[in-house]
Parts: sequence; C-alpha cells; structure tokens
Amino acid sequence: MTRLSRRAFLASATAASAAGLLCTPAIAQSSDIVVGTWGGTFGDLLKANVDEAILEPAGWSILQEVSGPVPRRTKLITERMQRRGSMDAALLADFDMHAAAKVGALEELGEETVPGYGNILPFLRKSHSVPLIYSAHAIVYRKDLIPTPPASVAELWNPAYKGRIGLSDFLYTSNMAYAAIANGGTLSDFEGAETGVQAWRELDAKLLPSTEAVGQALASGDIWLTVISAARGYSWRKGGIDLGWVIPEEGAFPAVYEAAVPKNARNAEGGMAYMSALLDPAAQAAFAAKMGYLPTVSNGSIPPELEAEIGFTEAERNRLWQPDLDFIMENQAAMLDAWNRILKG
Amino acid sequence: MKSLELVNIRKDYGGAVAVAGMSMQIARGELVSLLGPSGCGKTTTLRMVAGFVAPSAGSVLIDGRDVTRLAPYERDTALVFQSYALFPHMTVAQNVGFGLEMRKVGRAEREAQSLEALRRVRLEHLADRYPRQLSGGQQQRVALARGLVLNPAVFLLDEPLSNLDAKLRGEVRSEIRALQQSLELTTLMVTHDQEEALTMSDRLVLMEGGRVRQAGTAQDLYERPADAFVAEFVGRSNVIEGRAEGGGFRTACGTLLPAAAAGAAGGSFYAIRPEKIVLAREDAGEGVGGALREILYLGAQTEYTVMLGQTPVTVIAATPGPDDALAGLRTGDPVRLSWPGASARLLGA
Amino acid sequence: MAKLVLPAGLLVLLLLGGPMLLMLRYSFNVFDPLFLMKQAFTFENYARAVADPYYQKILTTTILVALACTALTTLLAYGPAYWLARMESRWKSKLTILTMFPLLVGGVVRSAGYLALLSTDGLVNAALRGAGIIAEPLQLLYTPGAVIFATVGIVLPYMILTLASVIESIPRQVEEAAANLGARPGRSFFRVLMPLSLPGVLAGATLVFILCMNAYATPLLLGGPQFQMMAPAVYEQFARASNWPFGAALAFLLLIVTVILTSLGSSVIARRYRAG
Repeated sequence: MTRLSRRAFLASATAASAAGLLCTPAIAQSSDIVVGTWGGTFGDLLKANVDEAILEPAGWSILQEVSGPVPRRTKLITERMQRRGSMDAALLADFDMHAAAKVGALEELGEETVPGYGNILPFLRKSHSVPLIYSAHAIVYRKDLIPTPPASVAELWNPAYKGRIGLSDFLYTSNMAYAAIANGGTLSDFEGAETGVQAWRELDAKLLPSTEAVGQALASGDIWLTVISAARGYSWRKGGIDLGWVIPEEGAFPAVYEAAVPKNARNAEGGMAYMSALLDPAAQAAFAAKMGYLPTVSNGSIPPELEAEIGFTEAERNRLWQPDLDFIMENQAAMLDAWNRILKG
Repeated sequence: MKSLELVNIRKDYGGAVAVAGMSMQIARGELVSLLGPSGCGKTTTLRMVAGFVAPSAGSVLIDGRDVTRLAPYERDTALVFQSYALFPHMTVAQNVGFGLEMRKVGRAEREAQSLEALRRVRLEHLADRYPRQLSGGQQQRVALARGLVLNPAVFLLDEPLSNLDAKLRGEVRSEIRALQQSLELTTLMVTHDQEEALTMSDRLVLMEGGRVRQAGTAQDLYERPADAFVAEFVGRSNVIEGRAEGGGFRTACGTLLPAAAAGAAGGSFYAIRPEKIVLAREDAGEGVGGALREILYLGAQTEYTVMLGQTPVTVIAATPGPDDALAGLRTGDPVRLSWPGASARLLGA
Repeated sequence: MAKLVLPAGLLVLLLLGGPMLLMLRYSFNVFDPLFLMKQAFTFENYARAVADPYYQKILTTTILVALACTALTTLLAYGPAYWLARMESRWKSKLTILTMFPLLVGGVVRSAGYLALLSTDGLVNAALRGAGIIAEPLQLLYTPGAVIFATVGIVLPYMILTLASVIESIPRQVEEAAANLGARPGRSFFRVLMPLSLPGVLAGATLVFILCMNAYATPLLLGGPQFQMMAPAVYEQFARASNWPFGAALAFLLLIVTVILTSLGSSVIARRYRAG
C-alpha cells in the first residue's frame, strides 16, 4: 500500500466529507449543467426564466443542486483542490462569492467567454463572477405605525421603537454593517458594530429566526421596522402589508447575488452559457416582477410602474455602501460570534 | 365457626362460565383440596378467595366476615404461588419480612419473626441469599415461610408441588402437611394431582366444568364415588358401561358381573377398583372368565389387563412369588376374575 | 461464519468510526476564514469551548433541558408502559405499533406539528380563546417550556416501548404476591415494580437523555433564536460560521459530557436502589 501523506489524506478527506456532509455530487454529462443554488421561489424563478426559457431550447439540460449558501461556499473552497468539481455554476451572495474568488476557485469571466458581460452595470462588474440581481438591505417599516419615514440609520435605535425593532438572524452581516455605520462611521468598525448590537439588545430588539418570521412579525405588528432587502418589502407589500422602505441618508448595505463558474467545472462551457443566460434582460425582468430585485444590466428594462415601485433613484444608488469584502471575509466568523453572544447569550 | 366460607360464588367471563355457583366451607385448621382437571374452575375459585378475581355473584367469608368486595391487600390470606413469585431483588429474609413490613411491624420484630418462620422451614442459614441463589425446593420453602410468618386466617396453596421433581415431591408433601397441622392453618389447596390431594387433605372438593362433582374425605371419594367421573378421577377404576340386571350388572357385551344390590337403580355404569379384583387361573372354576392381554411388572405389584369379551379390565395384585399359582402366567392365557359384589358400585354418568 | 462477520464488522466500524475519527482530528485544527482550517495540533478549540461563559451557558441549558425532559418522560411513560405491558387483549400488538407510529415521522416534521399547535394563532390558543379562558393569545412558542413539551412528546414513544418490554418481563404473580402480602398499590409500586423495572427505567432514561442532549430541530424551531442548545450551536459552527475545528470540538465536548452524565446517572441510581 502506498503511504499517503497525512496532509494529502486530510485534504482529500476534507473535500470528501464536505461533499458527503452537504450534498451528493451529481454526475453530469456534457450537455448537463449542474447549478448550485437556493431552492424555493428563487429556484423556481431560475427554472422557469433561465433554464426552461433560454438554455433548454439551446440544448442544455439543467440540474439544480439545492443547498444553503455556506455549504455551497464551503464546497467551492474545499473542492478547488480536486480535478473535477461537483458544480458547473454556483450562485452566492457577493461577500460569499468573494471568498471563493479569493482562494482561486473561480474561472475568470469576460466579454469573450460570457456574451452580455459588457452590459453589466459598472458598479456591479467583477472579474470572477456576474451579478444576477441586486437590491439593498434597506429599512423596511410599517407605514401605518411609523408615519414619518425613518430617513436615518439612527432610527433603528430610536427608543420610541423599543421592543418593536426586528432583526433577521440570517442578515447579521447587514445588521452589523448598519450598526457599524451608526456607531462608528465606517463599515470596518467592528467595535462600533458591537456597540450597536448591544444597544439593540437593550432596546429589546426582536431576533427573528427566518425571513418568513420577519414577514409574519411585520404583518402582526410585533415589529414595526427592520433591515431587510427592499425587494422583500416590495413582495410583502404586494401581499397586503402596509410597508414602506427607505435607503437612509447614510446609505444602505447592497444585496447583490452573483453567479460564477468553478475552475474545475466538468462542463465549463455550460457554466459560461448559464452566466450569459442570467444576464438576459427577460430573465432579469422576471426576477424584478416576482421578487422585487433589480436588473444588473444596462440593457435590462422593467415596466415604468414597476420601476417606480422598486427602483432606486440615482441618488439612492450612489448612497449604497461599497463594503470591504476582504474585511467581511476575514471577520465573518467573528461577527457571527459577537452577534450570537450579544443577542443570544 | 368456619374460617372460610364460599356462598354460591360464580364467575362468568363474557359468555363462558368458569365457576358455576359453588359453596363450600373450611373449618379452622382444616386442609381442603380443590381437585380437578385443568379448566375445571379450581384456580379461579382460589383467586376469588385471594381477591384477584371478583366473583360475578355470591360471597366469600373469612372468619365470618364478608370480604367479597375487599381488595387482595385487605384480606387476611396468604397465597403460595405455583411459580413461588418471590421478589428477586430482595434477600430471603426481606422476602419473608415483606408482609410484616406492609403491616408496619418494626424492623427488629420483623427480623425476629422472619427468622422464626425460616427456622420452621429449615432455611435460617440462607436468610441473606437472593432467590436466584436457591434451588427450586428452597425457593418453595421461602414462599411458604413468607406466608406462614403472617399467620393468615386462610392459607392458599396453588399447585404447590408441580414445579418440583418427583423425589422432592414426597418430602415436601409431608413437610407442608406437618407444618399445616402443627400451626393449625386453615388451608385451601388447588391441585390437579389426585395423589397429592388424597395424601395431604382432610377433605377434598372435586370440580369439573365449574361445578362441584363431589366433596368429602379421601375415603368418601375413593370408596364411595358419587359418579363415574369421580370414580375415574380419584384413584383408578374400571368403569364399565351396561345396565343393572337382577342381582348383577350386564355389560354392553353381555357378561354378567356381580353386584351387591341394585343400589343405584338407574346406574348405567359399573365401577370396580383394580386392587379389589382377585385374579386366578382358568381352572379356579369361580368368577368371570377372560383372556390375559397384558402383564405390567411394577416391582412389588403387577398390573394385568384382562379382556372380558370386548371390555378391558385392569387388575392390580401383589407380584406372585416363584411358588405362587399365578407364577408363569403369560399373555393370551385364559384367566378368571372374581370379587365380592359389595366392592363394586353402580353409578350414574 | 467468522469469515462473513469480520468484513461486515469492519465495514460497520469504518462507517461509524471513520467520520468520528475525522471529526476528532478536525477538532485539533485551527480555523482559517479563507481556507476553512489549517492543519495543527492544538487544544485551543476545546479550551475555548470549556472556558467561554457563552458556551458554558448553552451546555448548562442543554443539560437542564435534557434532565427535565428525561424526568418528565419517565413520569409520563410509566403509566402507559405498564398498561401496555399488562394488556392481554388482541389490541395489544396494535397499540404497540401505534406507539411506534410517531417514530416513523422524523423529529423535524413533528416539531413543525408542535409549531402549528403552539403558535399564537395555533390550536392551543384557538381552543383556549374559543373556550373563553383567555382573551389575548399566550406566548407559548419560543419558550423553554415549548421545547421541553415538544421534546417530551417526541421521545415519549422510546421510553414507553423500552419500559413496556421490561415490565412485561416482570411476572404478574410477583405483583399479585405483593398485594396478597398486604401491599397497597402505591407501596407495591415503590417496593416491587419500580426496583424490578429499574433496568428498563435506566435504559429508557439513558436513551432519552442522549436524544435530548442532541436535540436539534425542536430547540431550533420551537425555542426561538434566543434559546440555545448544543446541537444547533454545533451546526451553526459548521454551517454558518464555517468554523469546522471549533464545531468539531463543541461536538466532542457534547459527546464527552453526555457519556459522563449517563454513566454517572446509571451508577448512582443503580447503587441507591441496590442499597434500599
């Protein structure tokens, strides 16, 4: 028996257990594109407007591999040492995608490889991923209960809303970014962020375990305001809750969802085709109509009345923060830890 | 005064009758056996006395007090279970002291009495053992001591010898009887073994199909069985079908057998115990002629089966010595059987 | 036979032991935000897990909830287990299967059921309001009580079945003997049935305690985000913080504490009863 070095054994074992723990790798043929993505409404929209509308007529068949974002990111990172990865395209939030790009797990993208790459809005353009939709984690509030729009991030700590401030447990990154801006002034101010979270605790902010729970709490009046994507605010308002949202004067955390092709994709060509399809104006319009997310391409257009509902003004768009993704990547675990300790300890 | 009295007790399970209204009495210090084949209702009767089964009708009186509606733990009975049912997590002494503990007897007093009860069954040296460390016979004596120590108004024994091997059985039988007599325990014993019942009891109650067939002393049941079932169940009997005729009894196949009188006028059964019959060679001239079909050597005794026409008759006699006239009899030999008419009984079914 | 058993045994050992050994190895590594972890051999993860008041509190909550659930489950299961064990009718086997029925549905689904039962517009509140007992809905969900209630509901079948099989093996005559010797039902229970069924109680309680210590879905769904138990905390380290070394260390801490408490518990209870 050949002696494997311990390092090599552990490396392969890590990848193997990651794959085993998180999902079973799908076996793909050349016309198959394996897409690592979220399920639910998001997955359905992809299926209807990207897979079935664009790629299948072109002869591709799409396999969705549904999982949570962190397992997907872990998979990208651990699989990079293998000759063949389990995904041909992977979808992640921008800060998660950043980590995968940083470790060199992703293929470089450009106008030659991805048709439509040139249409990407300049502020969303990146070398190793394409943005498929974006919105902002804005202050979403009950219009009937808070008559004056909360125009400043400081409103999230307004003692008048004691016990009525909602915090999505999933969006700890965005919530802590708000806390950092409100209490320190820069996005990279960890201490300021902790001070802000501590202040939330003292204001009896309600920690909510899921996005659905946030929606329910808004509907019931358990909470009056929260930080969540403007897109969610739009879809809940369509569902009958009297909601408004504000991009505060200090700015807001951008919510960008991106896609990329792993370097070791079995079907890199298919992966590139998928990137291109995501940038298709029709596909982007569908996301806008259904989920309230905005197109990421200059040739994308949505009906004016929808634009009025969900769009950002030039000024609002310019106010969106430019998060230091390296800082987030380095400190994400520490941020989660601080978040948990303060709010759940 | 009667220690135990059952007044017309009855037990129905759904439509099935387990005990069909029985009455009996046991005097103080008396041992009465409930005898019968399995399913005759004897165990149900015992359990009604102990309080585990509620009678459908009738009443149970202990020392003149109606206990029919009392729970088992409110009755002054001690039951020795067929399986002994010792508490496996308690020592022998703790097992014996359990009843006293329940009666809130102090520890010192309890230990003294338990030891005394164990002494009675000669097990005081095993007081600290656990039941699983004892032999079957020892376990049974612990079960006896556990009941004795309470000096119960009624002592109940459920097939006390059935789990012992043949050799122990005789020993334990006399031991139980001796204890019962010396302590004057009012005892009701259930058994399906007629020998056990005959040797141990003051009186027997023979049950069948939930009813009492006959009650009386061992002699009553043995010598004067009330019917063919009793005659066959208690001891051994040749029971022959036929009808009374003149001074004798005509069997179904025509042989005339001697009878004392047409006692049971309507009797269609004739019962004669095997040991009452005298077997002789053909040339004896007297008695009913038949053919010897089988000889079973039992040591001191020999059992012969003789065919009277189509009717087999069992005879038990002392094994003949070498000079005896019966020595050298072989199967197939013609023989003669005789007995006094008074030994036979004419019975109903 | 040995030829067949050996490979199968090795396979089982590998399947059971392999992942455990791997996790054990991970627990000595160092977390790296970019590459997940770096090879190392350090006890830092364990030291942090043990010394950190935050995780001490989570572990304490976990132990208290598990103890409460175990005690409550034992109390609640004894009656039905006894009834089932002593039942003679033809319904016995059907009822036994019925008891096992909830086990066919996973803990997550059953937790979701309790979610529907206990939420502010759930069945319990609706019934209480309908009956006019309360005006405003009670906050039942996202409380430790909800977690204990639902966990007990989920583990109860294990306890009932374990107890029933042990009670079944105790001859009925032993109980009858106790009654015959003058023991009222209560005393008979404490002096005879309870000590004799102790192996079943211990086996069931150990099983239930382990299940409760490792409860995941119930505390997560019914405890709310502020209620923390160990299994979700372990999962959080793996799935949200991507901190595998620390997650592995937490998992082994949970394992070690569970093993110590179960063996301690069984020996203490067993000794107390032997002495009595």
